[in-house]
Amino acid sequence: MLIFTLRRLNLFFFTMLLLTILSFSLSFLFPGNALINVSGQINASPEQLILLSESYQSESSIVTQYISYLKHVLSGDLGLSMSSQTPINVEIADLLPATIELSMVALLLAMAIGIPLGFIAAIKHNKSADSLILSIAMIGYSVPVFWLGLLAILIFSIIFPWLPSAGQISLLFEIKHITGIQLIDILLSDNIYKWQAFQNASAHIILPACVVAMAPGTIFIRLARSSMLEVLETSYIRAASAKGLTFNQIIFHHAIRNSLVKIIRHVGLQFANLVTLAMITEVIFSWPGIGRWLIDSIYQRDYTAIQSGLLVLSCFIFIVHILTDFIYAALNPLARDSKHA
Amino acid sequence: MAREKIYQEEEFPSPFLQLWQIFRQTPVAMIGFGCSIFLIVLAIFSPILTPHSAIESNLDMLLLPPSWDDSGNISFLLGTDELGRDMLSRLMSGASLTFGLSFVVVVISLIIGVLIGSLSALTTGIKASFLNHFLDVILSIPSLLLAIIIVAILGPGLSNTLWAIVMVLIPQFVHITRNAVKEEFVKDYVLASRLDGASSLRILRYSVFPNIIEKIISQATLAQSAAILDIAALGFLGLGAPIPLPEWGAMLKSGIDLFYIAPWAVYLPGLAILFSVVATNLVGEGIRHSLKLHKES
Repeated sequence: MLIFTLRRLNLFFFTMLLLTILSFSLSFLFPGNALINVSGQINASPEQLILLSESYQSESSIVTQYISYLKHVLSGDLGLSMSSQTPINVEIADLLPATIELSMVALLLAMAIGIPLGFIAAIKHNKSADSLILSIAMIGYSVPVFWLGLLAILIFSIIFPWLPSAGQISLLFEIKHITGIQLIDILLSDNIYKWQAFQNASAHIILPACVVAMAPGTIFIRLARSSMLEVLETSYIRAASAKGLTFNQIIFHHAIRNSLVKIIRHVGLQFANLVTLAMITEVIFSWPGIGRWLIDSIYQRDYTAIQSGLLVLSCFIFIVHILTDFIYAALNPLARDSKHA
Repeated sequence: MAREKIYQEEEFPSPFLQLWQIFRQTPVAMIGFGCSIFLIVLAIFSPILTPHSAIESNLDMLLLPPSWDDSGNISFLLGTDELGRDMLSRLMSGASLTFGLSFVVVVISLIIGVLIGSLSALTTGIKASFLNHFLDVILSIPSLLLAIIIVAILGPGLSNTLWAIVMVLIPQFVHITRNAVKEEFVKDYVLASRLDGASSLRILRYSVFPNIIEKIISQATLAQSAAILDIAALGFLGLGAPIPLPEWGAMLKSGIDLFYIAPWAVYLPGLAILFSVVATNLVGEGIRHSLKLHKES
């Protein structure tokens, strides 16, 4: 396990190095002055510019510039947003929890629905239930997420006015910002209308979370199906049935556990996909998350925000990736000895 | 007169032809293949086939519903949008923008990716390890996010979107080619031709490529469906095709404002995207299925 941890840490540092180099080079690739792009101070006076260029060492060699950029990022200074002139780390700290909330709820939803369906398809292999589930999976995988979001709004908030179509919570409720994740904040608060607020917030998250969960959920169906099929063909399952265990006992005691381990390995990769879908869904459902903010900053040519948004979002994705790798290794001793990091 | 077979010659079809013979026997995959051919024909010949102009507006015919509706008009089969442009013609020319361009994008990135991948498979040591880590990092960033960043650097516009998607797809092809070539290079038949004195490039060209082409094509169908969805998503976000062009994602975006009055302007382009992605995925599934059968036989 120690060697495994060291390998992962090595990969982590390498990736962080590449990501920061990428985000550092973006300030040169974007149109305009690199110093202003990296700091976001568009209205700086000549004196301020001199101070800035000292702090980012923009007169020195490229390596020194990169190191001073790294120092700024590590101390939490991501520059000012070009359009609103507020510090970007404050904006991101406000917005990122909303995205985490949406993507986590969607991930849970996708796993809770997709994995059992995949298992059912594998158990009924080559029967009509299997092909039905597979065709649903094919359509769900192919549907464009923005279209699905619009249809969901049309059906569930306009034709049948059951669920709200925009925002994170009704404006009537005032929730104190503690963790930033709304559903947890509500439970932590001591408001007398706590449960109404909780209901309202859950009604707001259902539609966008379902829309985001659609494509990853169908991928989980396929993953669960193939890993279950693989497990059902192994010799220990045959041994179990030779011992005289019933089919249900085999499935619930042996097959499900072993195939779940294989699925967990893919959660990290699916999460990257899911965050992209969440970015588009946030635009449609006016969800106050980092994806909508990032796309807005592209419209406004807010290069500092794009640069830092990319860095934060890809770090977040990568950390989740590494975490799922660790969970996988903790559950599956075989994975710890693999040769490649 | 048919030529008779004089010699008892045994035919050995190439791996690609063998795959095609298995592929032909799955009806669902053939339906997908037929739909893809239909879309390709539509993409090439849409300027001749469209009944009306896709860009010119017709102010007498604003927001006509599809012709099966009571107030519809049969000469505008699928209705018109808010500027009186015929939906059918726009959808047909959209095929050449969304589907046709995604095809071009995949072909370009396939060529570049396979070249880099097969060259990198021949190198070893620190260079190869660096490339591997670099690819891992690039592949861990979601394709659409990367495309959005590249569009932000290049500026919005259709051609910039296409270059962005080409760059996003290249690492996938590099990765799959590299792994496939490495896998083949340790096999005995490669050793045999190496003993015959063939150079690495010659082995790559005559021995390895015919055996890995189906893997690359199967990856290409995945890339194609991702490319269609990405082009449409960027068009929807207003970063891709500019307003008058009938790109499906951009059409969907312009339909949103009149969503309640004219829902067909939203659901028709969406259906078109869904149709083309499903067709591509069916072909991909068929190829992977026949690859599996081929391996087992």
